[in-house]
Amino acid sequence: MKGNIFELKNVWKTYCNKGVETHALRGLNLTIKRGAYVAIIGPSGSGKSTLMHVMGCLDTPTKGTVLVDGKDISSLKDDELAKIRREKIGFVFQAYNLIPGLSAIENVAMPMRFSGHGKKESQEKAISLLKKVGLENRMHHKPSELSGGEQQRVAIARSLLNDPEVILADEPTGNLDSKTGREIMDLIEDLHKRTKKTVIIVTHDTKLADRTCNQIRMIDGDIAK
Amino acid sequence: MLDLAIKNLLENRVRTILTALGIIIAITAIVSLGSISTGLNELVTSSTATIGSDVIFVMKEFDFSEMSGPPGSFEIELLSAEEIEDITAISGVERAVPIIADQFGGLFELDGLDLDSVDLFGAEDLSFEEGGWPDNEDKAAAIGYLVARSRGVVVGDYLTFEEEEVEVMGIFEEGSGSYDLVVLIPYEYAEEIYDMEGEAMQLILKPDDISYVQEIKDIINNDMDGLSAMTMEDALAQMEEMTGTLNIMTFGIGFVASLVAAIGIIITMYTSVLERRRQLGIMKAVGALKKTILKQILEEGIILSVVSSVIAILLSFFFVDILNNVLLGGSNLALITPELAIGAVAYGVILTIISSIYPAWIAINTDPIKAIRDG
Ligand SMILES: Nc1ncnc2c1ncn2[C@@H]1O[C@H](COP(=O)(O)OP(=O)(O)O)[C@@H](O)[C@H]1O
Ligand SMILES: [Mg+2]
Repeated sequence: MKGNIFELKNVWKTYCNKGVETHALRGLNLTIKRGAYVAIIGPSGSGKSTLMHVMGCLDTPTKGTVLVDGKDISSLKDDELAKIRREKIGFVFQAYNLIPGLSAIENVAMPMRFSGHGKKESQEKAISLLKKVGLENRMHHKPSELSGGEQQRVAIARSLLNDPEVILADEPTGNLDSKTGREIMDLIEDLHKRTKKTVIIVTHDTKLADRTCNQIRMIDGDIAK
Repeated sequence: MLDLAIKNLLENRVRTILTALGIIIAITAIVSLGSISTGLNELVTSSTATIGSDVIFVMKEFDFSEMSGPPGSFEIELLSAEEIEDITAISGVERAVPIIADQFGGLFELDGLDLDSVDLFGAEDLSFEEGGWPDNEDKAAAIGYLVARSRGVVVGDYLTFEEEEVEVMGIFEEGSGSYDLVVLIPYEYAEEIYDMEGEAMQLILKPDDISYVQEIKDIINNDMDGLSAMTMEDALAQMEEMTGTLNIMTFGIGFVASLVAAIGIIITMYTSVLERRRQLGIMKAVGALKKTILKQILEEGIILSVVSSVIAILLSFFFVDILNNVLLGGSNLALITPELAIGAVAYGVILTIISSIYPAWIAINTDPIKAIRDG
């Protein structure tokens, strides 16, 4: 499969809070090739997360077009966006965002349950993914019983569940110490090499960013030239 | 995803149990009260058809507010032989038929009375599937179809009352209305069995003419101490008033209980949704559709309400049993019909679904980005 997985043209995202307008994205243009490994860097508040949310179909732009896998998502309804997220996008967040009451297996299996798969089938898939991220011994633990690094591994396993085309990781090492952070980055890099999935990482760590050939620097809601 | 719904319910046990309690109380109240209404309505309809409209019932006076059961099921004072004599002597009374009544087996009633006077109750034309009427001198009974079937007796067999064996001489045909449920024996024989001498629980008067009914009734009520006379119309009106009041009470208490339960459900579901805002946001972020979230919330509600309603029905059987045995003097008046039970569960579920609408709406519109950013 050739071509661009993301094409953003003149994308604006404006938040209105009590009459105050904040432009989180200001006419941003960006193209990302299928299978690319991209690092996004930039100061806090420069719009990195907003960009990730728009690319990840969690949000739609205020203005402009966003093509995901060739499909314009800017005017889709909630459920249509949810379907694209389920099928094409895997998210890894800074705060892990696991569901507290569920075990690692159940957390990983959950997205598959949404698409109507049975409990057994989903959990088998979840177990094989948890093994791949090196968590075979901690699968039955709840998030509160896992370390930050372990929780992020669970989140990575979850992001892989529906075999998405893209992994979007927003500061996946932000809450981790540098050693654990490096392990998680190694895991993601290894994942990219093995699966050839498109991987986009937001990171503060310039050393890590330098390891990737594609670097995007954001300033004030746009890409620095 | 029922397993997830159950998990969520178990996550906050105290809250789940409190909500369940609200539903249980509401449904139990509705079913218990409803069972009395059902029973009473049934009683009124079945007892009206057979008895003539010109008869007068005389009993010892009693205070309705102290009444602890429907007619026949509670201890009433007996009319003495002298009183019966006095009443019979009132001018215009053509016949006075003393009755000795005893309930047995919950549904059934034994009546000892002058078998030549059964025309007063519209029983003279009853047909028999086997045998026929005993004479007043016989120590035998004519019994209802249901009595015969439930006791497994045929003509020539015996039924036991107060250790006395009573021979069955006739069995009424199936479908004889309230006569399906009775055992009729001669008055003298009942006197002997129940160890009485000329007393009765009730006296039925037949006037010479229907136009005397009011007059005779007034004489008994006004001039005779401790006696109460009722016409058929009075008796019916009384019963209808009772069922009417009870229906309104059932409706009122049921409505208030439902309201309380509904508010409980709304508050629980709403707080639970707010508390789980992050969880719901994450679910949406990883691809849950609105209907998936809706389904989960409704599943929680349905599990909660079905379990609660079933518990409520079981509790109701227990309460109705107490009601029948303690308050209604061992009768089977309060009745939980299958319709009532199924209806109550359905009502509990519908009540819960309606109460879940607003919380569910909040849930399906959770903003995934907010949930993630705040995380
Ligand atoms: N819901 C919101 N309402 C108002 N302003 C917001 C909202 N979300 C983000 N912003 C603003 O948009 C800008 C970009 O935010 P963000 O994309 O989170 O940046 P980054 O991830 O690079 O730190 C910031 O100024 C932030 O305050
Ligand atoms: Mg950010």
